[in-house]
Amino acid sequence: MNRIRATIIFFIIVAIGSSGIFFSSCKKKSMDGIIIFTRTTGKAENVNYITGTLWRYIPQAQIVELDPLKPGASVKILTSDFYSARSPQISYDGENMLFCAQQKQTDPWQIWEMDLKNLKSRQVIKAKENCTDPAYLPLGRLVFSKSSVDDKLKGGHSLYTCNMNGSELQRITFSPHTYFASNVLSDGRILTIDRQVYPNYGNPMYIILRPDGTKTELFYKDPEGNILSGQGLETANGRIVFIESDNDKSATGNIISISYNRPLHSKVSLTSETKGDFHSVFPQHSGKLLVSYRKSESDRYGLYEFDPETKALGKALYNNNDFDVLEAVEADKHERPKKLPSEVHMDIKTGLIVCQDINLSDPQLSGKFSVLPKIFNVEIMGVDSSLGVFQAKTDGSFYLRISADTPFQIRSLDKNGHVINTCDWIWLRPNERRGCVGCHEDPELVPENRRPLAVKKSPISVPVHIKKIKEKMIDTE
Amino acid sequence: MKRPQKLLRLFGIIFALSLLVYFPGRKMAREHVNSKTATTDHPLLCTSCHLYTQKTGIISKLINADYLSPFNLTVSADGKRLYVVAQEGKALLVVDNETQKVVNKISIGNQPHSVVLSKDGTMAYVSNQWSDNVSVIDLINSKVIDTLKTGNGPAGLSLSADGRSLYVVNSYSSDISVIDLSTGAEIKRLPAGNNPTGIKLSPDGKVLYVTSRRSNIVPYGEPVISELTIINDSTKRVSEYKNMESAYMMENVAFTPKGDLGFVTLIRPKNLIPSIQVEQGWMMTHGFGIIDRKNNGRVIQLLLDEPNAYYSDPYDIVISPDGKKAFESSSGVNCISVIDIDSVRALISKASPEMLKTYSDNLGISSHYIIKRIHTGANPKGLALSPDGKKLYVAETLEDKIAVINTETLETVSSLDLGGPGRITVARQGRRLFNNAGHTFQNQYCCYTCHPDMHEDGLVYNMSGKDMGRNVTNTMSLRDIGDTPPYKWSGTNLTVYKQDGMRFSTYLTRTETFSYNDLDALVAYIITGIHNPPNLMYNPNGELTEAQLRGKAIFERSVDNFGKVIPENNRCITCHPGTYYTDKKLAYVSTLSKTDDSILFDTPHLDNIYASPPYLHDGRAATLEEIWTKYGKEDKHGLVGDMSKNQLNDLVEYLKSLKAPEYDIKDSKKHRAKNKSNQD
Repeated sequence: MNRIRATIIFFIIVAIGSSGIFFSSCKKKSMDGIIIFTRTTGKAENVNYITGTLWRYIPQAQIVELDPLKPGASVKILTSDFYSARSPQISYDGENMLFCAQQKQTDPWQIWEMDLKNLKSRQVIKAKENCTDPAYLPLGRLVFSKSSVDDKLKGGHSLYTCNMNGSELQRITFSPHTYFASNVLSDGRILTIDRQVYPNYGNPMYIILRPDGTKTELFYKDPEGNILSGQGLETANGRIVFIESDNDKSATGNIISISYNRPLHSKVSLTSETKGDFHSVFPQHSGKLLVSYRKSESDRYGLYEFDPETKALGKALYNNNDFDVLEAVEADKHERPKKLPSEVHMDIKTGLIVCQDINLSDPQLSGKFSVLPKIFNVEIMGVDSSLGVFQAKTDGSFYLRISADTPFQIRSLDKNGHVINTCDWIWLRPNERRGCVGCHEDPELVPENRRPLAVKKSPISVPVHIKKIKEKMIDTE
Repeated sequence: MKRPQKLLRLFGIIFALSLLVYFPGRKMAREHVNSKTATTDHPLLCTSCHLYTQKTGIISKLINADYLSPFNLTVSADGKRLYVVAQEGKALLVVDNETQKVVNKISIGNQPHSVVLSKDGTMAYVSNQWSDNVSVIDLINSKVIDTLKTGNGPAGLSLSADGRSLYVVNSYSSDISVIDLSTGAEIKRLPAGNNPTGIKLSPDGKVLYVTSRRSNIVPYGEPVISELTIINDSTKRVSEYKNMESAYMMENVAFTPKGDLGFVTLIRPKNLIPSIQVEQGWMMTHGFGIIDRKNNGRVIQLLLDEPNAYYSDPYDIVISPDGKKAFESSSGVNCISVIDIDSVRALISKASPEMLKTYSDNLGISSHYIIKRIHTGANPKGLALSPDGKKLYVAETLEDKIAVINTETLETVSSLDLGGPGRITVARQGRRLFNNAGHTFQNQYCCYTCHPDMHEDGLVYNMSGKDMGRNVTNTMSLRDIGDTPPYKWSGTNLTVYKQDGMRFSTYLTRTETFSYNDLDALVAYIITGIHNPPNLMYNPNGELTEAQLRGKAIFERSVDNFGKVIPENNRCITCHPGTYYTDKKLAYVSTLSKTDDSILFDTPHLDNIYASPPYLHDGRAATLEEIWTKYGKEDKHGLVGDMSKNQLNDLVEYLKSLKAPEYDIKDSKKHRAKNKSNQD
C-alpha cells in the first residue's frame, strides 16, 4: 500500500515538474524570425567618416524589433530608455544583443547588452570616450571602436576587446588610423574598416586581424578609392557583402559582394543596375539579403529583401515616412566563429618581424622607375622620428625586434639614401612574430621557400642607436 | 533491528564511504588527467586514455572496426566494371557499374596500393606495398593466379606500350622494377627519384613519367628539389631526371591526350622560412606541375590555392579524353578541383620564365583556370574516368565509398557504398582528423601533410618556438610512437595528448584547438592506428646477415677495440635498449648547434630507422653513417672513435635491420615453426 502511495506521489511530483518546465518554456519569448533594426529620424547625409559623426553616432536613433510574419503590425521599440541607440548585434545563441547607445544626449556613447528574453539592458563598457560598433567575439569577449585620446588620431578610433562584463580591456590596434564597423568572420578574425588619419588621410579599406591584434593584413580596398560605409558581412556561400559609396559625405551606395577566398579581385556590384540608394545590408539564413533601400533622395530608407542571385529587390518588409530604417539583423542563432589561439604575452615587451625580400615591391612601383632601384638600406620610422637605418641583407631580407604596440613604418632606401617606398603603418603585439614577403608586394604572393639570410643572426633591435646608423650608412657608401 | 532501519544504516555507511573515496579520489583523478593532458578542464573520462587507446584484446576488437579504405581504382575498357583497391581491406573490390554493387572481393597482399588492367582486360595487377609483390588476378575467375616479386614498397603500376612488360614503382627502395609478364620475372631495376609513387605512359607510348614524393636530401637551407624520372619505354632505361624545384609530394601524373603536357600533383612547402604564421601561404601551398614537352620540356608550377583558402594534400590527377579538363583530388579538404586546360595553356603560352616563377607563388593565379571545386566524402584519393570521360570516380578513402561525378555538369550524381562498417569508431574519427586540414587555419595543411603515410616528410622545419632561424627540427615519424614517450626532440611533451593539445593550435595549426572529443579521437588513432611497415628491405625474415650480426655485437658491446670498458652511458644499448630501442630518457649527444637552445634530446626509437633520413634533431646527417663520420667525432653519441670503417658499416647494417616489435613476434613464431619442421 505504502509502495503504491509512494509511486503515486513520485508521479505527481514528476508531472508537476514537467508541466512547470513546459509552461515556463512556453513563456520564454521566441525571437525566431524577428528582425531587429535601427531607425532614425534624421537623414544619413553629411556624415564624417573620420570621427563617425552622423555615421556611427546618430542622434535620436532607436533599435526596434519587427515580426515580418505579421504584416501591418507595428514595430516594438527596444531602447526607449535611451536618448539614442544603434548598431544591434545578436549573440551566437540568439539570446542577447550588443548595441551602442547614449542614455542622455550629453552622455558619451557606450556599449550595452540586452537580454532579448526580458529586454533588460546592462552597460558593458563605462568609458569617458565615445564607444561604438560592438561585435561579439567567440571567446566570451567583444570588440568595439573607442574614440582615441591620442592627439595624432584627431578624433579617430582604435579597436578594443574586453570580456562581456567589461573587464580585461585590451587595445588591439595601434597605428594612427581610425577603425569602425567591425565584424567577426567565421575564420575567427575581425574584419574592420581602416582609414589612415596621420600624417594625412588615406582611403578606407577593410583590414583583417586576429582578435589579439596580431597578423593584421589588407583584406579589400576599392581600386577607385570608393568609401566603405558599413560592416562587411559573410554570406553562407563564402561571399562578403557590404555597402560602398562614391560620396564622402553620404553613407549610401551600392551593395558590393566579394569572395572571401579572393577578396581583392572578386568585386561584384549587386545593385549597379538598381535605381536608388542602399544604406546597409545583412545576409539572411535563407541566402537573401535584408537591405535598407530608398528609391530616391526624397524617400525614406525602408526595409526590403534582396535576392543576390537575380539581383532583384523583393518586397518591402517595413516602411515608415518618419524614419529611415538602417542596420537590420536577424534575431536568430548563428554559427560561432572559430576561437583563435593567441601568441600574445603581455610580459614580453617586443615583437619580431622578418621581411623576406624588400626588393619585392608594389607592381605599380615599377611604373615609376625605368629600372627599379635595388634597395640597400631600410629605415624604420616612428610617428615623430626615425627609429634607425640599417642595411638589408644581400638577399633583401631583414629581421627586427621592435617595441610592441608601437606604430612604425618601413622605408626602403636606395644606395644614395633616396626613399623608394614606404609601407603603411604597422605594429606588433607583445611576442607577435610576423612575416612579410616584400614591401607593398602583391598581397596574393606567398614567400619563396628560401631561408632569409637575416634570420641566421639575431634580430636588429629597433630603435637603432644613432651612432650605429651613421656607421652603417658610411659602410654602405 | 527492523529491516528498513538496517537498510538505512547500510545505505548510510555506503554513502559515507563513497564520500570518503569520492573527494580524494576525484582530486587524484583530476591531478592525473591534468598531468596527462596538460590542461585543467579536460573531462574526467577514463575512456580517453584507457579505452580508446587499447591496442589489443577483446575491448580493442569491440571498439574498433575493419574498414576497407578504397585507395586507387580503375575502370574496365567497356566501363562496366570498377576495380577498387581497398587498402585496409587488403582486397581488390570488383564493382558492377550498372547495379553499383560490389560483386567480388578478392583478397590480395598487405597494404595494396595500385591496380592496372592488362590490355585485353582479363587480368588485373595489384601492387602490395607491404608485401613487396604484385598480385596477378584472373578477372574472369576472380582469382589470384600468381604473385610477382618486386622491389621494396611497390606502389604505382603501368604496362609498357606493347603490354608485355609491367613497370612497378618501388616506393621504399626508390627504384622501378621492370617485369616481363610472359615469365613473371623482373628483368631490370631502374633507379628513380626519392620515394617514387605514380607512373604513367605517355599517349604516344614512348616514355613513362614517374613521380617522387620526397625531396632529394639536401642540407638545411638548400632548396627542396624532387625528381621526376623519365623512362624510355623501348629501351627500358631512364632517359632523364627532371628537377621539380621547391616542390615535393608529387603523388601522381597524367598526360593530355595529345601528350604535349604532363601534369603532376605537388606541394610547395615553406620549410626554410620561419614558421611564424599561416597567413599569406607561409607554411604550405598546393598545386600541380606541368611538363611542357613541346617546349624543351620546361617545367611550370601552378597553385590550386586561393589567398584565403588552401587545397591541401593533392593526391591524384586525371585528364578528360577531350583534353579540356583536369581533375585533381585534394585529400586534405575533401575536394576535387576542376582545371580548365585551355586556360592553363593560354596562361603559360604568353608568360616569360620570370612571370612563370612568380605564378608559382601566386595565390590569385588559380582564378584563371579553376572552374569548379567539387566537394566529396572524407579523404578523396584515387581518381578514374569512365572510358567515354563522362563520369569521374573518386575513391573516398575514409568514407568507404566511391563518389560518381558527372564531368559535364560537374555535380556528384551518386555515391557507391562499398560495404564497409557503417559506424565511425573513435580511432577512425581520429584518422579522419589526422587527414583533414579543417583544423588548420584556412585549411593550409593537416597532420598528414608533414607526416605522409603517418611517417615523416623528410624535411627540416624552422618551427621558431622562440626566435626565428633558431632550433630547426627534423620531422619525426609517427609510426608506433604510442609506447615511446616523451615527445618532441626536447621531450617536453609527456603524452600524445599534450603534444596535440593547446600549444599545437597556438604555434602550429593557429586556429581553434581540437575539442576534447576530437583530441580523444586523434590520440586514439595515433596510438593504435599508425604502424610501421615490415622491414622487408633489410630484415625480411628475422634472420640477420653476417654483417648485421657483427653490427649487433657492436651495438651491444661494453668493451672497446682496445679492451677498455666503455662507460655505460656511452654504449648504444644503454640509451637504445629493449623493444623500441629507446630508454625514453633525455640525453646529451654533443649535436647541439650554435642556433639551438641548450636542451637535452629525447632518445628516439629506432624501429625502421632506415626509412627516416635525414637524421639527428636538425636533419644534418643525410645518412646513418654521417651521424658518426661527420657529427659524432666527440664520441658523445656512443663510442665510435675506436672503430674501423668496416665496423661502422656493420653497425649501420644492423641499425637498418631494426624493425617494429609486432613483426618480431610473427617472425619468431615463423622461425619456431621452421625449426620444428626442420627437426621433424
